[in-house]
Amino acid sequence: MSTLLEVSGVSVTFDGFRAINNLSIAIGEPELRAVIGPNGAGKTTFMDIVTGKTKPDEGKVLWGEKSTDLLKLSESDIAKIGIGRKFQKPTVFEEQSVRDNLAMALKNKRGPLSVLIWKAGAQERARIEELAEEIGLTERLDHRAGDLSHGQKQWLEIGMLLAQDPRLLLVDEPAAGMTPAEREHTTDLLKRAAKTRAVMVIEHDMEFIRRLECRVTVLHEGSVLAEGSLYHVTKNQQVIDVYLGR
Amino acid sequence: MYIPRQTAAQSRRSFLRENPSVLWFMGLLGLFTLGVTILSEAFGIGVISTNLVKILGMTLCLCLIAIAMDVVWGYCGILSLGHFAFFGLGGYAIGMWLMYARTEIVIRDSLGRGTIPPTETEVSEAVAAQIFGVVGSSELPLIWSFAGSLPFQLVMVVLVPGLLALVFGWLAFRSRVTGVYLSILTQAMTLALSLYLFQNDTGLRGNNGLSGLQNIPGFLDVPQSIISVWFFWASAFALGAGYLLFAWLVSGKFGSVIRAIRDNEARVRFLGYNVEGYKLFVFTVTAIISGIAGALYYPQAGIINPAEIAPIASIYLAVWVAIGGRGRLYGAVIGAALVSLLSSWLTGGGAPNIDLGLFRIVWTDWWLVLLGLGFVLVTLFFPKGIGGLFDYLVRKS
Repeated sequence: MSTLLEVSGVSVTFDGFRAINNLSIAIGEPELRAVIGPNGAGKTTFMDIVTGKTKPDEGKVLWGEKSTDLLKLSESDIAKIGIGRKFQKPTVFEEQSVRDNLAMALKNKRGPLSVLIWKAGAQERARIEELAEEIGLTERLDHRAGDLSHGQKQWLEIGMLLAQDPRLLLVDEPAAGMTPAEREHTTDLLKRAAKTRAVMVIEHDMEFIRRLECRVTVLHEGSVLAEGSLYHVTKNQQVIDVYLGR
Repeated sequence: MYIPRQTAAQSRRSFLRENPSVLWFMGLLGLFTLGVTILSEAFGIGVISTNLVKILGMTLCLCLIAIAMDVVWGYCGILSLGHFAFFGLGGYAIGMWLMYARTEIVIRDSLGRGTIPPTETEVSEAVAAQIFGVVGSSELPLIWSFAGSLPFQLVMVVLVPGLLALVFGWLAFRSRVTGVYLSILTQAMTLALSLYLFQNDTGLRGNNGLSGLQNIPGFLDVPQSIISVWFFWASAFALGAGYLLFAWLVSGKFGSVIRAIRDNEARVRFLGYNVEGYKLFVFTVTAIISGIAGALYYPQAGIINPAEIAPIASIYLAVWVAIGGRGRLYGAVIGAALVSLLSSWLTGGGAPNIDLGLFRIVWTDWWLVLLGLGFVLVTLFFPKGIGGLFDYLVRKS
């Protein structure tokens, strides 16, 4: 396992509020990692920084074998380099069919002209079917994404993430609003994805994290409080005080 | 309910079979063109006056810019309130050739009556004096250097609106100006251009504009009744071609991406698409088509002046598209045709005024009220516009 993403000494301040405070975190490939922490711990801001939405005041974000500086890239370039993101609120394109949503995410050239002449070949259509199968939406392929249930939208978004074929998946609260059966399915999906790539899951639900059976990073007030196995961090007194104890 | 639609991601069937509305549109446009030709004075039984043929031809040009507006606004979500600037620039570009070449023919004719044939310099000076006398100048401005060349000015029809859109769009989109701020910026662009052109020393005859554009050099002996039908055909052809182009543009994955940009551009960025590049592409292509529409419109109108580029024109354009129905090309055509024809009927004195005793409805005054009311009602009760009615029909059958 080699380091894929390395965030070091990153700080960001919003109107005097320090959302991220000298945060350092690294993830290897392949690896499954859970990130937990109370509200305002900086979990989403951390994702914003990695995906280029927010620029930090200081610190470094390095990517891959060549240690590419992600802070110099735009959101779309970061996505193209291999970082996919699933938002907390499912954001699929509701007016379009499930198939079109997946087709847009497929790993193809992203320039306007190549997209203009793009037509789904047999291979791509098979890939879309395969993804739909994996996220359990085969029956709904030609339905409007807006008509899906909440849990199905979450899956569609995970499917879109997989279609991008990223090396790192950033997944923000994938289990929110899901039924227990759906949660189980989601855990399986994520664990399978993490066999070949790096997956970072932000989650509140301890039961869900327990099922992921992975290394856990606890964030608090914008920096790392503890890191290790779930057993290890739940025994940590500081973690109990700020998070679990409440 | 979702009506499954064939898309590029799904099928490899032919484009026309996937989009039956395109075939319908082409058929109706063809029938309309045929009908007007048969009823025209020049080629048919003469029920439709030359003037009406011109109005109908101009309406087709307005429909063309309306579908461009629909692509940029209805599909890509950029509420541009400046596309009429591109329309006007296309008109000016072709107007320069029309005016120059015609004046040149007239000058050569009169100078050629002398015993010594005129030199090129003499001709050029006489043309300049003739065209620019009205703004107190007799020198040919630099931008008129190649005005005598039709191919050059035709290239300008495409190049000038295209380049302006490219530069403006690049600056605006790169700075991530969106929403209402972008709309205001485009209004500022068209206002600035119009104010600039109003000045006498800009080389485009200030508020006089370019006139006599209905006279086509080389065809000065051909009666207007015939020329009007030629331009009507050209406009119909351009609308058909533009419709095909845009329908193709919005049908496949490209259409999927721009609609996604309209609905949530941040999300599209995280999928790895360069949103700014797409917006710039759409903005520029629609600006070029608007320029072409303008180049066909103004020879039929006969005159172009800076008032045509006033901010209100671009706002009307948005109103047409909203009334007709955003996000569907035929909706834009319906909106533009209906509202602009109604407007010329009501404001052109075609409609009888209504006497209510105490109060008289004079349509020239009340038309704008009616339009505003219509716009509000459509926005409130038919967000999909008139084109949305077709959904009911399709669903019922």
